[in-house]
Amino acid sequence: MLYKKALLCTLLISSVTASDPTSYGWNIPNTPLNIGGYIDATYESKREDEFMFNDIALLFSAHKNHFDLLGEVEISDLTLDGKSNGSRDIEIILERLQVSYALENEQILTVGRFNSSVGYWNQAPINILQDTTTKPNIVKNIFPKATTGVMYQKGIGDEDSLTLALQYNRDIGSHDESIVVDRHMAIAYYGVSSDELSWRLSAGSYREFRGDNSRYLGVGTQYDSDEFALQGEFFIQKHDHGLSIPYSGYLQSVWHFTDKHDSVLRLERYKDEFLDVSEIIFLLGYVYRPWERFALKGEYIYHSKLPLNRFVYSFSVMF
Amino acid sequence: MLRTLLLILLLGRLLISEEIIVIGDKNFPKETLTIQEIRAVFLDKKRFFIGEKKVLVMNYKFHHPLRNCFEKNILKKSQRSLERYWAKAYYQGKQPPKIIKSIPMLLGYIENVHPSIGYSDVNATFGKEIKILYKGECL
Repeated sequence: MLYKKALLCTLLISSVTASDPTSYGWNIPNTPLNIGGYIDATYESKREDEFMFNDIALLFSAHKNHFDLLGEVEISDLTLDGKSNGSRDIEIILERLQVSYALENEQILTVGRFNSSVGYWNQAPINILQDTTTKPNIVKNIFPKATTGVMYQKGIGDEDSLTLALQYNRDIGSHDESIVVDRHMAIAYYGVSSDELSWRLSAGSYREFRGDNSRYLGVGTQYDSDEFALQGEFFIQKHDHGLSIPYSGYLQSVWHFTDKHDSVLRLERYKDEFLDVSEIIFLLGYVYRPWERFALKGEYIYHSKLPLNRFVYSFSVMF
Repeated sequence: MLRTLLLILLLGRLLISEEIIVIGDKNFPKETLTIQEIRAVFLDKKRFFIGEKKVLVMNYKFHHPLRNCFEKNILKKSQRSLERYWAKAYYQGKQPPKIIKSIPMLLGYIENVHPSIGYSDVNATFGKEIKILYKGECL
């Protein structure tokens, strides 16, 4: 009960004290350290634990001349009876721990564990930063969400960038819902056509921990204006031993019909030879954001084949 | 008489100036910045180093009239768009510019911190040792 009260207090304090809506976290005096975090909770009536804190996370960062530090640790899937991932032993999961060095204004070298620079969704994979609670199929099944290794990023022109990532070691983080690998090579290009329109091209190969090799290729595009947003991604994955994901893609539209209210429509289509499933997923959702750092969401997801039709509700906050 | 009238008109123009200027410290290595460069700096899209030092980027408090002008006419982003942008940027480890309470405070930083960049009303910078990097209008 004590932690529930602490969480509620955190929510209220963060909502009230955030006088600048673009500012997050708290700077620790006399240090370059900034600390913040996010909380994400969901309700699904068809789930065994109907209410769950999906993520309670701490974000910390520091900047000093050419060096940047960024870390993210979390407790995930915490139920109201105090269990995390089905166990009373609360595990703190390392999501990210990365140190970046700016070689110059246009080049950055990063080492550590970082989100793979692949696709759009994976650049902001937490609830508060997305327009839906549930994630598209590509997020968990096509490429590793995280890479433990080295990443090189080169700025091209005004806003374009090319990113290369390499992993040749075990993942330093704990498991998550994504693919866990000990080898990963990825190349990604991010292009900006205008203030509202951008695109991404990604390709890579990986080896699952003591497993087999796979390769993937994907494209994505995003149109984002004050009234309307449209985002689409399409990936293919080939596995060395024959079975593959011949295609997986989604198209998501968001209508910002007022400053605080959004409606969401997402259509997905995928074929997974591992699961022997080919289906369409349809999502209709609503988002209420009284402040950008706080979101209440409700959505209905329809699966044409798998028995996963359901309503999902969530609240999330970043501070 | 004519000279007096012209002087009054000039002063009047200065007093009701709708110009906004992006300014740097007097030793700022560039003489001018393009809008794309200004946006890259103020949105932390690119690192901006001069030698080994990162440029101190400054902004005013939320709802300051100059900040509203700057975001609308220089950054060309709505308030909502900026809030969405900084939420994602924070997750990626970026920080918004340092918040300054007033124009005199900003000018104090500009005069004493090298390198530094901010923006101001053109009238407030009269007599100050600064470098004007860009001129725009509040529409």
